[in-house]
Amino acid sequence: MEGPSVPPQAIPVSEDAYCNSSTAPVEAAGSSSPAVAKLRKLLFRRMLIGVNDGRYFLGLFHCIDKQGNIILQDAVEYRSARHSSPPTEQRCLGLILIPAACRSSCQVDCSIEEKMSLLCLE
Amino acid sequence: MLIDLQDGELVHGENFSLFAAMSALEIMDPKMDSGIEKSGYNSIEEAIGDGVAPVPLSLDRTVDVQRSIDVMDHLFSCEATWHKGHTLAQTVFTCIYLMRMERISSHAVLNSFCRILRATCNAVISVVSTARTHEEEDLFTMAFGLPLRDEGDEKCLSILNAVEETISRQLRACKAQALSKTKTLQDLESLQDNPDLEEDYCRALLCRLRFRKVLTLFPVQFCSKMVHVLCNVLTIMFQAVRYFEKLLHDLDVICALSLDPVLENVLHFIVQFQKSVPDLVPRAFLQTLLIQDGKLYGQNMFPDVISRALSLPDIIGDKEFQMNEFVVQLGQLVINLLKILCTNTAWQRRKLGKSLQDWSTISIQLELALKREFGETRNVLHHENMCMRVSKQLLIWTQEHAYWVASRFLTLGFELDLYSPGEYCMVYWYMYVVFTKLIEKMQLRVLASSETSRRKGKKKKDHSKDSGRDTAFSSTCLLLQCYVLLSEGLSMMLAVLRNESRSFQLPSIFNTEQEHFDLLQKARVPEHISYYSFKESSSRAGISDLVKYNFFKEIQKIIPSLRGSFASEPEKLAELRRIEQVAEHNRIALNIISQVGPNDPSLRVSFEFTHHPHFAVAVVKRDHDSSLA
Repeated sequence: MEGPSVPPQAIPVSEDAYCNSSTAPVEAAGSSSPAVAKLRKLLFRRMLIGVNDGRYFLGLFHCIDKQGNIILQDAVEYRSARHSSPPTEQRCLGLILIPAACRSSCQVDCSIEEKMSLLCLE
Repeated sequence: MLIDLQDGELVHGENFSLFAAMSALEIMDPKMDSGIEKSGYNSIEEAIGDGVAPVPLSLDRTVDVQRSIDVMDHLFSCEATWHKGHTLAQTVFTCIYLMRMERISSHAVLNSFCRILRATCNAVISVVSTARTHEEEDLFTMAFGLPLRDEGDEKCLSILNAVEETISRQLRACKAQALSKTKTLQDLESLQDNPDLEEDYCRALLCRLRFRKVLTLFPVQFCSKMVHVLCNVLTIMFQAVRYFEKLLHDLDVICALSLDPVLENVLHFIVQFQKSVPDLVPRAFLQTLLIQDGKLYGQNMFPDVISRALSLPDIIGDKEFQMNEFVVQLGQLVINLLKILCTNTAWQRRKLGKSLQDWSTISIQLELALKREFGETRNVLHHENMCMRVSKQLLIWTQEHAYWVASRFLTLGFELDLYSPGEYCMVYWYMYVVFTKLIEKMQLRVLASSETSRRKGKKKKDHSKDSGRDTAFSSTCLLLQCYVLLSEGLSMMLAVLRNESRSFQLPSIFNTEQEHFDLLQKARVPEHISYYSFKESSSRAGISDLVKYNFFKEIQKIIPSLRGSFASEPEKLAELRRIEQVAEHNRIALNIISQVGPNDPSLRVSFEFTHHPHFAVAVVKRDHDSSLA
């Protein structure tokens, strides 16, 4: 792994991660904390993310990095258009990257019990 | 920040590929995210409700005219941006007036302008998508369900004419009033309330409306005079002026096309036209003009174009000739060739490479058919029938065009910077072969056609016409001869440097030189040419031979005679000047190389395209850094 001197990028990726990108998930890179394990369980779930300008994106949770930048797969964009019909416009975008800086909300599709367990602090 | 993760660590599933992730659309990035919401409105209606895009634009009639002009100018620059390859939705159709046209039906000026703009967008999309000159830029023709068409759009021209008529009457009234110095306006209502500004505003509106009209009429009718008139009007207008000026210039060039049915002239015209790097819209127009209903200019059937090129006037319109399967195929190849030549250079070269194979395949088939039907009886000329003569000439014509396509394919590589200095030797050698073959086929074709006319015992009056054509032909050949000499000279010079000073070797880490050569040879044009023939001839090249056959000096001998025959063609004279400069510089460079000795370690030779886009000039330096040529 690189030292701390590496400046963070949009999707900072070490050489290790690059080499293993299509085969090994996180275990190979070293982190296996309970929080990361929980996060990994959420992969491929439907995720609804709101951004600063009021739009929402619904897609499958594909990837996240240390900074919290999220990649969604098969994403659909929703925007409300109050005075027109239908009241929300939508369009398919496919693979999208939502930078952490513009994310204003985030929800994952799961049962109440699971949500509660995600909330509890260990 | 997810503290449990390392820097650069990602949480992802097994189907993750970093490469695919790189192509993800970045939300809120101004370039990638077209849906980014900055206006603060959720819909057009909301914006309108909030007072954006009011109708009229102002209650003060002077301000209203002013703002209308601003809107028009903004739309012109949006349109220019769209022509440059952006989406319609992010350019022209960002204007609310255009999106909700029913709102401006009471605003005569803006209504007429926007209606005709919309009709133009529609017409341009259909011309470009039919001509397919947009190549990779498929964004250009996507309409994304925008309101491009509406009932009554066919009346847009008459609406515009009516508004134009009204404003020009207002302008006349205003002038008359200025002359008579009376302060009362006749029955006519003025455009706005400030009499000092009236005349200028009338003019400003008129030139915009008239320019709009030209852009609209162009897809319908090609008219040079109209373009000229508006070129003058345009220069006083707006930001997008440079684009539209170029567009008009390109359209003007297209208008000057004389509907000449001689294929060689058409090909020459397109190649010349492409030199000014026209945008996709004028290229689409040119193609539309050239090929209409599968005919040249919509007038000449392609089999007739071919028979004219064969100098066989008897068979023009001949049904049997037109129906011949080879002629039908060749007609299709010519149509494809014209279409390809109208595309951008990168695309063009790729497509030419493919079409070269078609040309060579058909010439092989023709040759086989000729042998099959008439055997190897080439010496029995007297018993030759018409059919055989036609077949022979068709074969020569086809081969000639295959070489023409090959020469264009090779020279475009220079314009696109596709060759590395290590490859120049090989490319120029190939060009030398192709140009030589091209001359040979041209001469054979002309010889065969003069044979035909002699046999027919032409009347005397035709002779003057013939001799005129012959001189034109011989000067074309001489010009090609200059290219042959330049190519051969450059190739030899590079080979000498390669052999004697070990420079200009092809770096062969990934590809061998032979592989590069194969790319040139994909089309098997010319026949019997292999990498080994190149290797052999280049390995023998020595400085003494190069100095003995001074190719560059030969060119300087040819040029003066050509200058006379091209006296009336400024663009060919310019080409002669370029050739002359390349020849002169290279002649001097060659002298220095031979004096110093090509194997002198202090010698540094580089090649630059400072005088001609296809033929390089050698720059010779010694290591103590003084430029010698």
